Amino acid sequence: MAGGKGRIGFLINPIAGMGGPVGLKGTDGLAEKAIAMGARPRAMERARACLDHLSREKDAIHFLTASGSMGESSLKECGLDYEVVYSPLPVTSSRDTIRTCQAFLDKGANLILFCGGDGTARDVAGIAGSTPILGIPAGVKMHSGVFAASPQAAADLVIRFLNGELNLRDTEIVDVDEEFYRAGILQTKLYALAKTPYLPVLVAERKRIYISDQEDEFKDQIALFASEFMRDGSAYIIGAGTTTSRIADILGLEKTLLGVDVVKDGRLMITDASEQDLLELLDRETRVMIIISPIGAQGFILGRGNQQLSAEVIRRVGIDKLIIISTPHKLAEIPYLLVDTGDEDLDESLAGKRQVVTGYRIAQMKDTLAASRL
Amino acid sequence: MKIKYLLDEEEIPKKWYNVAADMPTPLKPPLNPGTLKPLTAQDMEAIFPKALIQQEMSTERWIDIPEEVREILKLWRPTPLYRAASLEKALKTPAKIYYKYEGVSPAGSHKPNTAIPQAYYNMKEGIERLATETGAGQWGSALSLATCLFGLQCTVYMVRSSFDSKPYRKSAMRVWGAECLSSPSDRTNFGRQIREKMPDTPGSLGIAISEAVEDAASHDNTNYSLGSVLNHVLLHQTIEGQELKKQFDMTEDYPDVMFGCCGGGSNFPGMVFPFIPDKLKDKKDLRMVACEPTACPTLTEGLFAYDYGDTAGMAPVIMMYTLGHDFIPPGIHAGGLRYHGDAPLLSNLVHDGLIEATALQQTEVFEAATLFARTEGIIPAPEASHAIKPAIDEALNCRKTGEEKVIFISLSGHGHFDLAAYDAYNDGKLVDYVYPADLVKQSLAKLPKP
Repeated sequence: MAGGKGRIGFLINPIAGMGGPVGLKGTDGLAEKAIAMGARPRAMERARACLDHLSREKDAIHFLTASGSMGESSLKECGLDYEVVYSPLPVTSSRDTIRTCQAFLDKGANLILFCGGDGTARDVAGIAGSTPILGIPAGVKMHSGVFAASPQAAADLVIRFLNGELNLRDTEIVDVDEEFYRAGILQTKLYALAKTPYLPVLVAERKRIYISDQEDEFKDQIALFASEFMRDGSAYIIGAGTTTSRIADILGLEKTLLGVDVVKDGRLMITDASEQDLLELLDRETRVMIIISPIGAQGFILGRGNQQLSAEVIRRVGIDKLIIISTPHKLAEIPYLLVDTGDEDLDESLAGKRQVVTGYRIAQMKDTLAASRL
Repeated sequence: MKIKYLLDEEEIPKKWYNVAADMPTPLKPPLNPGTLKPLTAQDMEAIFPKALIQQEMSTERWIDIPEEVREILKLWRPTPLYRAASLEKALKTPAKIYYKYEGVSPAGSHKPNTAIPQAYYNMKEGIERLATETGAGQWGSALSLATCLFGLQCTVYMVRSSFDSKPYRKSAMRVWGAECLSSPSDRTNFGRQIREKMPDTPGSLGIAISEAVEDAASHDNTNYSLGSVLNHVLLHQTIEGQELKKQFDMTEDYPDVMFGCCGGGSNFPGMVFPFIPDKLKDKKDLRMVACEPTACPTLTEGLFAYDYGDTAGMAPVIMMYTLGHDFIPPGIHAGGLRYHGDAPLLSNLVHDGLIEATALQQTEVFEAATLFARTEGIIPAPEASHAIKPAIDEALNCRKTGEEKVIFISLSGHGHFDLAAYDAYNDGKLVDYVYPADLVKQSLAKLPKP
């Protein structure tokens, strides 16, 4: 046993990222094809870059890992302290990722450090529960907010996490449907929520004003403010996410975290509404407003994880009836808000400076761009 | 071209001008926060000296300035009026821009204009210590200077966000012998309560006022001192506008529009109130514009209503423009403009339509301040820069219309303690806060009735 050491579950999705360079837009179910097309196992190199940095602190970490290319061989090369808790079959799959993570949890891992892309993040987040997870970026697509900026940054975050310098926050795990993506259709879904460690960023001022562990407090402030302005008798379509769901908490309602709900006069009218449900709602209700929050690391407010809010729904509600909410911390980390409703004219009319509610009676101005302009 | 218009020391005004004597609508009385009945002189005696209470309630047009006060004001008064010739040239405007610079005071702002008389009257009545709050640190510095000159002790409750971001303001207060505490502090009951409920609050002027009032009310040798909002503070600041009128006489110009930054109200009213009779009696076509941050737009978006002057509800309830005493504005760099309310005298004149208000965003304000520094040389305080931005816009508009308007900027202080804020601007790290006025109105419309 590793007395007093941090226990880090470490796994590599050895085929992650192979599809990108050969134009496959993801590697789900296509590893053999990618290898045949000349793809190289990129994840191993990315993992190695992270582990090299972590070897500075090798006395402080006891790794739990899977055998062979899923972790063991990289840890061995870097001379790190580890134990193998799971042995996959020679051809690894998403099932191996899940089983490895289960073994990490059984062995009391403090953090799961994985190397892969959105697909891996989905598998890990699906089982991690309240155990924090952190991604070493190695995939083709990395829409989720659990990835560090680079393998070196991931190592730095691990060290700071073990030193107790970091806070945890909720983040959304989104993934693109690869079948659609290969056909040229960008269709993302919000799959799960996970805890991830992050460096408390300073918000608003260079000197310490608010530190990020107060993120929950800001969510409460925003929700309290929303609960007040929502008394006006309108029907409110509330998008997915943890910030929006805090509004439901304050109102004492059971909100679907990953879906879109409708609330009016403090009562839940529709749960997990489809586009059709919303269009029917608009036939009945004259005053409707939408409350949404940016999803994932890139700052999408429309078109990712909430396709129910279609261009037709937005147009019928009215673009001036869109209320955007976000904690100041999340807003500080994204350069601008993005919209991708599939209707370019609508996206253009949503672009420009938009008000984002960031606290109790507090808002900020943020640039909003049409995704097609990127 | 003449650049500086200077008055002699003997031209420092001998009386303060009390606008209450000329108000079209009389002020509604302040209320006792406990009883909600009109406040009596006795109610105020726990925290203010009698002379200031008299001034607070006076409707006399002119009030004598004690000679001992004038002697100390001579250290930096009269302050210069400048013609902003370089700025005009950079803007290629036919307009004439003037600014009166209060940054020449030892504390670097207009605040000593009232700190000196306040310390003087307290000293005269045997008070040994003054307790006060400070937002950006300007007022705390000014009162530290004033108490030091009159041999009093001083305790300053400084809003935490400024305490952390402006360490050298504390240093200055220490040099002048004052004690500066980060508010919420552990010195008062209210401070301890807030620290327990909101350990990471950036603090606010409302909280710091509550702490200073509690300190003063619970110590016999201690009085409270406020650097804005109250009638006597605005009275003392009218020394600025009176000098300015004489200086405008020297220029042979008369302003078409006057801009001044406005938090709780002290520099702006001090500069413009002496011009109110011109507008009322002589029907001068003069615009006076109070400039505030979009993060805390009290005059532009607030309600004209009775509200508490502080967060704890210990200060008098006054009729003013307010965003609500429980509103804690975000931590913008113009810390001196983060106050939920506004001076009753000023609020009344805004409500009567004699004075206008406008709100500015941080980034545009710093952009204007940078242009000012690069043309006029002076690095202005972020607060003061709120007046520069709309003045520049006005001058640019004159370029289009060809009008030769006379534009005045009240430059309340220098920004030497605000260089971290300028760094944040230059590093692209400023956040443009706004007040979601429509949503707030929506939230207030159907408030549950008690």
